[in-house]
Amino acid sequence: MALNPRYVLRETGQNLWRNVLSSAAAVITIGVSLWLFGGFFLFNFAVDNATARWQGGIEFVVWMQPEATPEQDANVRESLDTSPSIRSWIYVDQEQTFEEFQEIFADTPELLDIVTPEILPPSYRVVPTNPDADVVAELASQFVERPGVQEVVSADKTIRDIQSLADKVTRVFLIGSVILLTAAALLILTNVVSAIRSRGAEIEIMKVVGATNWFIRVPFMLEGLVQAVLGAMGAWIGLRILDNTVIQGLSQPDSLQLMQGFRVDQSEFLSTSLLVLVIAVVVSGIGSAVAVTRYLDV
Amino acid sequence: MIKLNNVTKVYKDTIVAVRDATVDIAKGEFVFLVGPSGSGKSTFIRLLNREEAPEHGTIYVAGKDIGKLGAWSVPYLRRNIGFIFQDFKLLPKKTVAENVAFALEVIGKPRHVVRKQVPAIVELVGLSAKLDSFPHELSGGEQQRVSVARAFVNRPPILLADEPTGNLDPQTSVGIMKLLDRINRIGTTVVMATHDRSIVDTMRRRVIELDHGMIVRDQARGVYE
Repeated sequence: MALNPRYVLRETGQNLWRNVLSSAAAVITIGVSLWLFGGFFLFNFAVDNATARWQGGIEFVVWMQPEATPEQDANVRESLDTSPSIRSWIYVDQEQTFEEFQEIFADTPELLDIVTPEILPPSYRVVPTNPDADVVAELASQFVERPGVQEVVSADKTIRDIQSLADKVTRVFLIGSVILLTAAALLILTNVVSAIRSRGAEIEIMKVVGATNWFIRVPFMLEGLVQAVLGAMGAWIGLRILDNTVIQGLSQPDSLQLMQGFRVDQSEFLSTSLLVLVIAVVVSGIGSAVAVTRYLDV
Repeated sequence: MIKLNNVTKVYKDTIVAVRDATVDIAKGEFVFLVGPSGSGKSTFIRLLNREEAPEHGTIYVAGKDIGKLGAWSVPYLRRNIGFIFQDFKLLPKKTVAENVAFALEVIGKPRHVVRKQVPAIVELVGLSAKLDSFPHELSGGEQQRVSVARAFVNRPPILLADEPTGNLDPQTSVGIMKLLDRINRIGTTVVMATHDRSIVDTMRRRVIELDHGMIVRDQARGVYE
């Protein structure tokens, strides 16, 4: 028997209206949980994009002491030239370092007044043949103890710090979203059970006159689905705001250099949105299915 | 039309509601089920529309062994069986017309069929003037008439009634029985559980008496005792 769309929509609407407060609670809960869930994916995409920017040209910097001797400098240079793990390097002398310093601190003339090229360290900017973070770390460590070397800074550490922080943040997002999604499924289940109980007399008549199981069940299942889709729409708006404000805000040109790659492509946003919708449907399906199979005896 | 072969229904493994019942009810018959409270009348009726399933025996309705019906086909069986409750079970927020239409809507009848059949059946039960009234605006007898209309709007060949006059005064009960008699006379098989001695004695139809789940009497043109 074909379901009458008018009847199904009317019954679903009435069910939602009868439980309007708990329906709103379910919509909000599922919206927040899906927002966290989608946020987990958006941040992961953004971190991947940010670190990918470094993977191609990942480098470490060997900062020499300003007073390093020519022999010490030659020793480092020879190691850079002979190492098969190093593709190329650039020497940035004190004058060039001072120029960079002037660019970076152009807004603070008082600092520029007291700094001279002689006190700034020259450096070797190194491009390794293998951009793997572990290889870079190992390579960089070979220069740390060299005479005349002041400090070795590798980009991989910064990336790892970012990744570590992102892992922690996204883990919180994921755990929180799973807990809230469970709560949302239970709320949907409770709402559907409540609707079933409030319509006990109608259900009894429907069974007696020969309504099919699906005819009786579909409006209740649709109620859960509507709540989930409304929640997903709220989550989508929240994710759009998250992308437009936080993620795009972090990737502005005046942000940290590493964060400038912190962005989400439209295709990534779209796939996250679709995933959020699918999860919403699955969660509502589970909640509604349990409710109609356990509490609706047809 | 209805045939029970050695049917036994047991609740909770110990309470025997119907014991080894064998009955054959022909098309168009009017049958009273009588007996004291707890004798198994309601269970007997609930077995016929598969609200209950027997532990033993077979039940045939319109030539089909309903014990072998899959769960998905039980609703289609019930579309051939109207059911009248003692307490009417009208939906309080629906009008007379809506209560009757509900029985058609939920089995997927198109709107034009609903529009045509509802006024006709409401006229049959004598409530045309109260199509838009709500149940609380009706007397008990009128409410039971609506219940009869709802049960019969789909023109089922079988009508089951579980003490339909149990909540009505004698005069109103007579009106309901006239209505059921009229429905029976157009070929509908009616099986009615009742405690109402005067109705049974007046109508003189087939009487099946149950006692502790057993059929102790099956009498054509019978009386209550």
